[in-house]
Amino acid sequence: MADTRFSLQRVESEAGPLALVTIDNGADHTKPTFFGRAALESAERAIEELESGEWAGMVLTGKPFVFAAGADIGEFPDVTPEAAREGSRAGHELFLRIHRLPFPTLAAINGACLGGGVEIALHCDFRTISSAVRHFACPEVFLGLFPAWGGTQLVPRLVDPDEAVKFVVENPLRQNRMLDARKAHAAGFADALLEPAEFLDDSIAFLLERIRTGARPRIEERPIDAEALAEAIRKARSRVDGQVHGAAPAPYVALDLMAGAATWSLEDGYRAEEDAVAELLPGPQAQASIYAFDLVERRAKRGVGVPDVAPLKVEKVGIVGAGLMASQIAALALRRLEVPIVLRDLQEDVVEHALESIRGELAGEVAKGRYDEGKARFLGSLVAGTTGWDGFDDCDLVLEAVVERMDVKQQVFGELRERARPNAILATNTSSLSVAEMGADVGMHFFNPVAMMPLVELIRHDATDDVALATAWDVTKRLRKTGVVVRDAPGFVVNRVLARMTSALMDALEHGNTVEETDDAILRLGLPMAPSVLLQMVGPRVAYHTLETMHEAYPDRFPLSRTLRNYAEGREEVVSVGDARRSVDEITECVLEAMADEIRHLLDEGVVAEAADVDTCLLLGAGFPFFRGGITKHLDQTGISERVAGRPLAEIGAAAPA
Amino acid sequence: MARELREVVYVDGVRTAFGKAGPKGLFWRTRADDMAVKVVRELLRRNPEIPPERIGDVVMAATAQVGDQGLTLGRDVGLLAGIPQTVPGFAVDRMCAGALTAVTAGAGEIAMGAADVVVAGGVEHMGHHPMGEDVDFNPRFVAERLVDTSAVTMGATAENLHDRFPQLTKEGADRFAVRSQQKAAAAWKNGVMRDTVVPMSVFTDDGWRVADRDEFLRPDTTMDALATLRTPFRPGGRVTAGNSAGLTDGATACFLAAEETAEELGLEPRMRLVGYAFAGVEPELMGIGPIPATQRLLERHGLTIDDVDLFELNEPFAVQVLTWCDGVGVDPDDERLNPYGGAIAFGHPLAATGVRLMAQLAHGFRDRPGARYGLTALCVGMGMGAAVLWENLRG
Repeated sequence: MADTRFSLQRVESEAGPLALVTIDNGADHTKPTFFGRAALESAERAIEELESGEWAGMVLTGKPFVFAAGADIGEFPDVTPEAAREGSRAGHELFLRIHRLPFPTLAAINGACLGGGVEIALHCDFRTISSAVRHFACPEVFLGLFPAWGGTQLVPRLVDPDEAVKFVVENPLRQNRMLDARKAHAAGFADALLEPAEFLDDSIAFLLERIRTGARPRIEERPIDAEALAEAIRKARSRVDGQVHGAAPAPYVALDLMAGAATWSLEDGYRAEEDAVAELLPGPQAQASIYAFDLVERRAKRGVGVPDVAPLKVEKVGIVGAGLMASQIAALALRRLEVPIVLRDLQEDVVEHALESIRGELAGEVAKGRYDEGKARFLGSLVAGTTGWDGFDDCDLVLEAVVERMDVKQQVFGELRERARPNAILATNTSSLSVAEMGADVGMHFFNPVAMMPLVELIRHDATDDVALATAWDVTKRLRKTGVVVRDAPGFVVNRVLARMTSALMDALEHGNTVEETDDAILRLGLPMAPSVLLQMVGPRVAYHTLETMHEAYPDRFPLSRTLRNYAEGREEVVSVGDARRSVDEITECVLEAMADEIRHLLDEGVVAEAADVDTCLLLGAGFPFFRGGITKHLDQTGISERVAGRPLAEIGAAAPA
Repeated sequence: MARELREVVYVDGVRTAFGKAGPKGLFWRTRADDMAVKVVRELLRRNPEIPPERIGDVVMAATAQVGDQGLTLGRDVGLLAGIPQTVPGFAVDRMCAGALTAVTAGAGEIAMGAADVVVAGGVEHMGHHPMGEDVDFNPRFVAERLVDTSAVTMGATAENLHDRFPQLTKEGADRFAVRSQQKAAAAWKNGVMRDTVVPMSVFTDDGWRVADRDEFLRPDTTMDALATLRTPFRPGGRVTAGNSAGLTDGATACFLAAEETAEELGLEPRMRLVGYAFAGVEPELMGIGPIPATQRLLERHGLTIDDVDLFELNEPFAVQVLTWCDGVGVDPDDERLNPYGGAIAFGHPLAATGVRLMAQLAHGFRDRPGARYGLTALCVGMGMGAAVLWENLRG
């Protein structure tokens, strides 16, 4: 990709010459424009031209569909504190020069505007935004950072304290939520919401009108309601506590900097941002977040280990089973693939219930205005149910999601082989059993709740053919999920690592620790859910079943916990095996060591190609936090891998085949 | 049952600046339909008295009706411009007379009472759609000698005019071209063009720019400079880039209305459509087309060429205008002819040009309150001519 340039063009107007500055990297909208070193150098040249010329005004805008997507995070890995400070300072200096230009300036936000894009826009006097813009946000906190080119100082000066806190801290922590143009305008980020058709022409007209009236707002002079800001920050802090339990520094740093804005001058605030970024950016959490972001946004989308063959065109899907997972998968497939779906269960009432829930979901979509009634009616007509095998003979893909018993699954695939068309792909949603042994072509392991969890483990065994795997990948993508290719091994990746974690926790309970302590040990890692809550959600029976599967394969590492069996059988009783109560820190350490050990085994066996795949699975399938980089980044950063496996996990298996 | 036709008036017209076709041109990275959308929206903005839902049809011309000029352009542009979905639209093609035909087709709808207000115009992005691209010529044309092979190359037909009419010299053509450039430069200078050209921001390799001036303007053109130019259509020929219109990107649109609707809405129409004529001629001499079209039109309305006070002729080639001058008896230096210059200076985006002529005629009427009749005319590839006669309503 070419470097980002700031191109300056002169436009004659009735007010005099306008400078029209475009941020552009020469590529189309699929490659957003970022601010790297070269971009800042180009910006500086443009600013010099602006400072030295006789201009009536300046309009800053982006290439079609993109205003600017912020700093180039490709420059962040392994950055030194000095370089981090310098990067922040360079931006501050340049953006302040824009702010101090002796003529009115306008940022015409024509497309995606993120992070540094927002910050450069905030340094202009005015902002117009195209009503077609859907991505307006400061996602830095999501990446373990904070907006360090003035964002923490300017946002609270520009918008209402609650909006400011939401924008900088809370939205990034909610799956990186972004504002659309209407919301950004309503919150006060833009002075005018303009139609897209003639957006730039209208923006120029907007600036000319402001030049005529002569008023220039100065953001640094806008009063901050200190009391309201303090209150908003206090509330936000307690919500952040509830979410990251103090484990991630970025949201707290961002809140502190915003609090400072109430009393600091702009310059003082910028120095504080520079100090903070020098500490935060080279730190483990930010580095892990950047690593995790790259995994999820780039590596996972490439499809590591996906064969380069044409997938089968899937025009009908069969679902075996009509329980919770099966009906969720059916509903998703219906909405995303829009092909006929046939659902099978032995019990008629289970089938009926599943169909009802799918239709109910469609009705809900209509109520929310996402579908019109005709479309919902059509989709509803695509779903059929059966207690036999009617309608399975012309399915292109059959997905089995019945009870986790090998004999039952074997029977299902045996019967399917006889009825399905020869090239149909028969897949299983098993969470831990052997895909090969049950007779499936490939595994597609979804996570509960299906609508929310982005991961699908795509399981290939020795006899899985390339078309089956490529089709599973393609369908996963069309379902708007992320697939990770995994070898057929007990528990695959997510359940295997979680089972090992559970084993370590059960061990602590059985040695005298409390559930509160084991929960705390995990929450302080920044996992979104306490393990005791997760266990209830998954169901202790399912968890114990997984443990049994793991125990069968690896009896030494997965002892059959009698406590978990009690839970599975509905008894709350912890079976004590000795009194060796540990501190919460020690429990955390044990869990991390256990995970490091299990991941080492998993990599040695070649279940996945690299530690990066394990992290992708844990990030997307178990909600492990970005600021731990999944988990292996953290294990490597803290030296636990070295201690347990003799070397960083990142170095294991990189060359092994997937 | 006898019925009365309604009078049709021209309310207002605008165009984009005209750019050079090709990767170096201003509009290279701008879509043709977006250019058409721009002029239609400007038209709506300049005429707020016309409620968009009163528009009865959107008629858009393009010669190449594919790619960014495809998809039933009038409908496509109407939707993209934000005109209500209830307003229909269609596309027309009569090559260089596209916009002119859009106007006559729209006028027909109004006269018949099928529409009260019509948007008519045209667009040609010759950079995206080089002339003749994707055209599959029927081999019968050649096999049966239905047309001379030179008929498909417009420059060659212009050379044919020099051959047929030896009194029309290269020097005469160059002189006409120099004057066209001078008149256009003056028109740009004294603000005439601001009345008809809407600036449009366009994305380019060097960022966004504003297209607010025609790219072909060469106010300093001299006879000497023109004498040195190559003759690309024939060695030793007479037609050069200097005495013809370049390959151009541009869009135009105008509002037509029934006279009674204009009154009802309180519009101030500029001119009334008197009549129009199309004529067919030898394809290899397509440049003579406007002569029979003009003659037929004047004859039908009992007028002579001397009754017409203003002529807006297209200038694809200087020799083509000279041919028309000779044919109808107008001196090329006549002040009534192209007072603001023509396509040699502005460019000629095929199907868009017709409305540029009308917009300039309307301006000419305003500048000359005594003028009564005005003519817009152009020649059309494959041997046609088109002419529309207008009456000044501000006279």
